[in-house]
Amino acid sequence: MLDAIDRALLKTVAELEELPKGAYNIRKNGKLLDRHVSANINIETNEDETGIIVKIKPGTKNESVHIPVILSQAGLYDVVQNAFVIGDDAEVTIIAGCGIHCGSSEPEGHAGIHEFKVGKNAKVTYVEKHYASGEGTGRRSLNPTTKVFLAEGARAEMELTQIGGVDDTHRVNEAVLGPNSLLLITERVLTDGEQTAVSTNDIVMKGRGSRANMISRSVMKGNSKQTFYATIDAQNQCYGHIECDAIIMDNGTNETMPSLKAGHPDAELTHEASIGKIANDQLTKLMSLGLTYDQAVNRIIQGFLK
Amino acid sequence: MLELQKVYFTVQDTEGSDGGPRNIIDGIDYVFEDGKFYVITGPNGSGKTTLAKLIMGVNPLSGGKILFNGQNISALTITQRAKEGIAYSFQQPARFKGITFRDLLTIATGIEEEPRLLEILGRVGICPLSFLDKEVDARLSGGEIKKIELATTIAANPKLAIYDEPDTGIDLWTIGPMVSLLKKELAENRTTTIVVSHNKAFLEAADVVMIINSGRIVYDGDLEGAMPLLDDLSVCTYRNSCEGERDAGCYR
Repeated sequence: MLDAIDRALLKTVAELEELPKGAYNIRKNGKLLDRHVSANINIETNEDETGIIVKIKPGTKNESVHIPVILSQAGLYDVVQNAFVIGDDAEVTIIAGCGIHCGSSEPEGHAGIHEFKVGKNAKVTYVEKHYASGEGTGRRSLNPTTKVFLAEGARAEMELTQIGGVDDTHRVNEAVLGPNSLLLITERVLTDGEQTAVSTNDIVMKGRGSRANMISRSVMKGNSKQTFYATIDAQNQCYGHIECDAIIMDNGTNETMPSLKAGHPDAELTHEASIGKIANDQLTKLMSLGLTYDQAVNRIIQGFLK
Repeated sequence: MLELQKVYFTVQDTEGSDGGPRNIIDGIDYVFEDGKFYVITGPNGSGKTTLAKLIMGVNPLSGGKILFNGQNISALTITQRAKEGIAYSFQQPARFKGITFRDLLTIATGIEEEPRLLEILGRVGICPLSFLDKEVDARLSGGEIKKIELATTIAANPKLAIYDEPDTGIDLWTIGPMVSLLKKELAENRTTTIVVSHNKAFLEAADVVMIINSGRIVYDGDLEGAMPLLDDLSVCTYRNSCEGERDAGCYR
């Protein structure tokens, strides 16, 4: 059922060697390949058959759901709308990811629109990895969207990674935070060659006592270009922080636009942004420990995107 | 073991009136002997750090030669000098996002096994295991990062260890143990040690005190012989403004 290319893609985007234990839904070339549900986690196709609905029962603890998507069909642009309903007090890890293998000159792409409704005091960890490979020359695009709604006391940790091979991407992350909820987003994007990446992030702090931290790490190699927008809109007493760091290598370019809106007198908002080459003192230190210049560069980038 | 022959480091002077070349290191000749503890001191801006960086290859020589165990290392890169057995603790250590103390120790030693890393921690006097997985980033305190810097230098088992102001940011009661640690490394492994410092604890521990002023060695010998010079006006850069009325007894 899984061929060698499928296995390689699954291993890269979902760290899966074999079919996972617990609940999973594997989508290949726009169609369901395999699905498994568990006692606490249900997965079903949505009404208009554009994606899946994953329901996590209230109070579920320490369970995970894998929902990888793999594409290897020339000319296909696969759009999927997935919804996640996480019951009150549940704790769950969702591992998503999209791997594209492009073997021809036809373009291939995927847009995953993921909506999360996180119940009261529930905790979700969402890990999403994007990767493209293959000897073909067709453009590979990946345009993921996440929309997160956090109920009172809910917590979401999102790790969003694009590790290479994707020609263009427009990433959108939106979140609305309820009272005392917490949102942590870490986005890591590596581009090379002529690739472009745009990331747009809109975080609305609605609830009193809500907290958000958005971290972005970008590396631009070759002639690649990345644009990063992040807005925190504080409508209540809350704490929000944006940290965006970009490392430029070769002739890469970057635009970073953090934006803070305080619509409440007790909103506390901060941001830090930095763009530049790898710092000389970092290179010198690693070289003084015996690494060559190139090894030092690789080690620094590897850590930065870890 | 380390020989400096007519070593120069020259920059274009942007502050001076003529804009001409200025020697930060002004033709230093010196032989460092194997297994000795050297402390380089001198006023701010005298060239101490520049000299240390010339030895490590961080700054390129403008003139002269550096021999290390008889080999001319003047044209070697930092990496090659590290592989020859020279290690360097930076005055302001680099901070990294996503690189931990464990990573740095592994890079310095090639060792990944936990028990052997713990052995190194014991050797450098860092107790808690939790320290190993701390990221060497901006969240570390000045003291913590200096300890990590020192530890990576010692862990590399160098033949020549250079420490640029290892005591800055370190609490007073840690300086004594730090001096003992460097002395112990020297005694057990014959690590030739060069420390750039103004600190009395290091000066007292030195086999040889060197005073550098305006890019030249103006004294080398024991601390006693250095005292008149250290007490002298030339060593304190603020002496002109305070005119000696408020002598804090420091060696700056």
